Amino acid sequence: MQATEASTPRIAAKGLSKRLASGSTMLQILDDVSLAIAPGETVAIVGPSGSGKSTLLALLAGLDRPSAGVVEVDGRRIDDLDEDQLALLRRAKVGFVFQSFQLLPNLTALENVLLPLELAKKPGARARDEHLLRATGLGERMHHYPSQLSGGEQQRVALARAFGPAPSILYADEPTGNLDATTGAQVLALLEELRAKEGATLVLVTHDKDVAARADRRIHLRAGRVERIESGRA
Amino acid sequence: MAGTLFKAAWRESRGSLARLAFLVLCLALGTAAVSGVGSLSAAIEGGLRAQARELLGADLSIESRREIPRRAEELVAELGAARSTTTKNLATMASRGGRSRLVDLKAVGPGFPFHGRIVLDPPREPGTLADDECAVAPEVLEQLGARLGEELRIGEQAYTIVSVVREEPGRLDFSFTLGPRVLVGLAGLEAARLEGFGRRVVERRLWAFDEDPGAERLERLARRLRDELPDAAYLRVETARDAQPALRRSIERVEDWLALVALLSLCLGGAGVAQLVHSHIDARAGAIAVQRALGLRPREVLQVQLLHVALLALLSSALGALVGAAIPFALPKLLSGVLPEALALRFDPWAPLSAIAVGVLVALLFALPPVLAAWRVPPARALRHEAEPLPAPRLLRLASWALLAIGLLLVARWQGGGWRNAFAFAGALVGLSACLWAGAKGLIALARAVPRRDLPPLLLHGVAALARPGRGTAGAVVALGIGVLVVAGTSLVERRMSSYLANALPPDAPSAFFVDVQPDQREDLERTLVEQGAGSVRAAPIVTARLAKIDGRPVAEIAAERKGDSGVDRELWVLTREQRLTFGATLPNDNEIVEGALWTDPARAEVSIEERYAEDLGARLGSVLTMDVQGLQFDLLVSSIRKVRWESFGINFFLQVEPGVLESAPHQVLVAARLPSQREEAIEAEVALEHPNITAIRVRPLLEKALDLLSRLAVGVRVLGLFVVLVGIAILAGVVGTQASRRAKEVGLLKALGCTRGEVVLLVALEHALQGAVAGALGGAAAFGVAQVVLEGALAIPAELPWAWLPVVPPCAALLAAGAGLAGSWRALRTAPVEALRG
Repeated sequence: MQATEASTPRIAAKGLSKRLASGSTMLQILDDVSLAIAPGETVAIVGPSGSGKSTLLALLAGLDRPSAGVVEVDGRRIDDLDEDQLALLRRAKVGFVFQSFQLLPNLTALENVLLPLELAKKPGARARDEHLLRATGLGERMHHYPSQLSGGEQQRVALARAFGPAPSILYADEPTGNLDATTGAQVLALLEELRAKEGATLVLVTHDKDVAARADRRIHLRAGRVERIESGRA
Repeated sequence: MAGTLFKAAWRESRGSLARLAFLVLCLALGTAAVSGVGSLSAAIEGGLRAQARELLGADLSIESRREIPRRAEELVAELGAARSTTTKNLATMASRGGRSRLVDLKAVGPGFPFHGRIVLDPPREPGTLADDECAVAPEVLEQLGARLGEELRIGEQAYTIVSVVREEPGRLDFSFTLGPRVLVGLAGLEAARLEGFGRRVVERRLWAFDEDPGAERLERLARRLRDELPDAAYLRVETARDAQPALRRSIERVEDWLALVALLSLCLGGAGVAQLVHSHIDARAGAIAVQRALGLRPREVLQVQLLHVALLALLSSALGALVGAAIPFALPKLLSGVLPEALALRFDPWAPLSAIAVGVLVALLFALPPVLAAWRVPPARALRHEAEPLPAPRLLRLASWALLAIGLLLVARWQGGGWRNAFAFAGALVGLSACLWAGAKGLIALARAVPRRDLPPLLLHGVAALARPGRGTAGAVVALGIGVLVVAGTSLVERRMSSYLANALPPDAPSAFFVDVQPDQREDLERTLVEQGAGSVRAAPIVTARLAKIDGRPVAEIAAERKGDSGVDRELWVLTREQRLTFGATLPNDNEIVEGALWTDPARAEVSIEERYAEDLGARLGSVLTMDVQGLQFDLLVSSIRKVRWESFGINFFLQVEPGVLESAPHQVLVAARLPSQREEAIEAEVALEHPNITAIRVRPLLEKALDLLSRLAVGVRVLGLFVVLVGIAILAGVVGTQASRRAKEVGLLKALGCTRGEVVLLVALEHALQGAVAGALGGAAAFGVAQVVLEGALAIPAELPWAWLPVVPPCAALLAAGAGLAGSWRALRTAPVEALRG
């Protein structure tokens, strides 16, 4: 699926830069990155370690603030929102899948999945989430705590949590990075299936060429800059 | 290897400076609680002793109607007494012109009193009175119509009255007072030539040490004197502690309280240390996993962590000891009087050193079980955060608990109170911890069972945090619960103790005693006193007697036998002294029968005997005491044993005989009354006019002194109690704070998932509040139970606990925990959501 110039991009970045102080020197993590991602598009951000992939993801998702440049979601600037406004934006529109799963250890699998929905006070959350958990193959284990689940199971709970509120954007940071090849493939298949069903825009950061090949576009970063953008499924 | 371990332990300390500084500060609070209470209570005890010394005038005294053996001098000198002097007392007649009256003549040697002072007006040193000079109580001037500078005749000597005695150290024991005071020098007494045959001179030898010898050493010395001196049965050996029977119970209670607080502070500090180390090891799990992965054996990891904790404990204890040692310096104003300046401000280099030793020991002991968690960290965790923890060897786990129990016993013993108390304390602590543990587990199970699906998300998160398996929630609740127990328990006991001390002296305690009242003057005197506005007028007949036999055995024989029995620590002197009996059908209000009943056998003459006195005599219910009253012997059956509240300052006797036995024996009457303070002198003058033979002894100054001492004790108890409560709250806050500071990751994630800052704050507060409420409910209930047992059992004070406050404890603990949780999470709460990406 290609972005069209006519429609408003789901996510747009213009001249994004991120600098961090390291001792007395400033490190340029990202340097003048611009891109636009259309609704429903799947984009992979790829590049070697230290190229700024995760930083770009954090800036697009409103988890961090740029040193310069603009980020827009659905045509609305988000880089000048305060922390609480950003939180509400994420609550309403964004889902996350993290490399290290990031489940709350206090809560059972089902409660973890329910949390964003309850924060958003969406009615009928429970039925939808139980359904999602079953869809991810965790129907039997929904009352287990994260420490009682395997890595693959935890990531599936994280997927269910991410899709629970039906977000319009899904960010995934190395979603298969902590999983073995077979489990990784299963999780990825599930991710694609859910994304297709929900029609969400997916932005994923990955090292894995095979994973990146499944995306509509691949944005290659090197030393904080966009090296090239590849279109079409490889 | 040791060098490598040390290096590794040292490197552990370099991790995060801020986190370690917080840990050190919290540990320091724990050790400061132990050492601070130690130095505070030592200072209060020292202050008490100094006050008691002032009441005796010396550290040690021997009183006898016979000559005091030389051996006494040698024994006391061996133990380092630096100064000694003598006083002699006898009842004799003083006259001026045509008027004469019975006075209590006291001859004092140079230096007396060593502690406290005799206030003479105009000022004079009592030891410098010339052969022909005397100082007299105001009553003597009034009753003999004399003035300063005039002459007073006693025996063969004429004395010039040079001063009035305004104040002197002395016992608050008036049933033995013979008349108003006349003070002369020893040479002056000799000049009166009164010490001949048949005179009943009581000689008292007094000793003082340069340094405060401490209560235990003095008691040992007194025991040795009682054991070794010939004629010990006729000697009354007294230490400063024995000087005030009316205050002794209060002082003993305060001493019990000090020991209790010391133990509670130990438990508070220990629980804090355990929880802090637990959190610390938890936070270090990642680093430990890496060490394990790099090839360190579990034993070595344990050694590194223990050494690391020891280093931190050393630093913290040094800090804590400094704070502890500074406390008596910081409070001189509040505790002036309770803390004599010389004692409070003396720097004792051993005190901080021993505090550091105890601090490190307590920290290591309580750190042992939580440090064992380091053993369980699997090397696989370096790769996978969720790796299963390894089991620690069972033997090691048991050994760490056993070591903790033994160490606890030893430290409790060191804190004072003897082995029995140490065992009782350790047992109670283990029992209470087990109850708290069971309670915490029960509540956690309940939290798990509560259907959470309908709870609002914030409350759900709080309940879920309680129910979360395998994360030491029960341990945290127990540590918090013990903290609540100590804080609430201390304040409950402190509140009762200080109000008890403040009210120990009844408002109607007599302010004057009238001695030498003849039986036929009694009614008249009582009427006069009531007419003049006196309150609480009480009278009791006094018969003087000697104890001849107990159960048919002569007292001399019993005394000789007991002297050889080193296992019996009873006063021998009570057997041979002059006994003062009273008679009457009923007991005063401040008496309570603990065994037997009054006047049960119409066929026998019965006596009721005071509990401790019965112990000293070796008499029991059913014993027969044979009394010699001026040559006539009476057999008295002990039919009841009673407790006396001596602190009431009323007229009380060790021996009360039933009516109908002693009425015909020669006796006098002792009358006590509370005189209106403005009219004291007028009333005494009136009595003297009507009954010239009666002497009024004014005890208001002594009463005020006792009141002052008691109110200062109450302040001391309150200050110490508040100190423990404040330190306890700080430790609790520290424990919660350390746990909370590790929440950064969760906070970042919650924010990433769309929680606003306010919601995160509320969530963290609620989670801690719930934990605090559970700990508050368990600890509060335990605190009320413990306070009840301690007050009614150990301190023998009616507990009268404010039960209505019990439901207030959980919300207070919840508020405190929420506040501390938020304070501890302050940095975590500022975590940016981007941290969620960093795993």
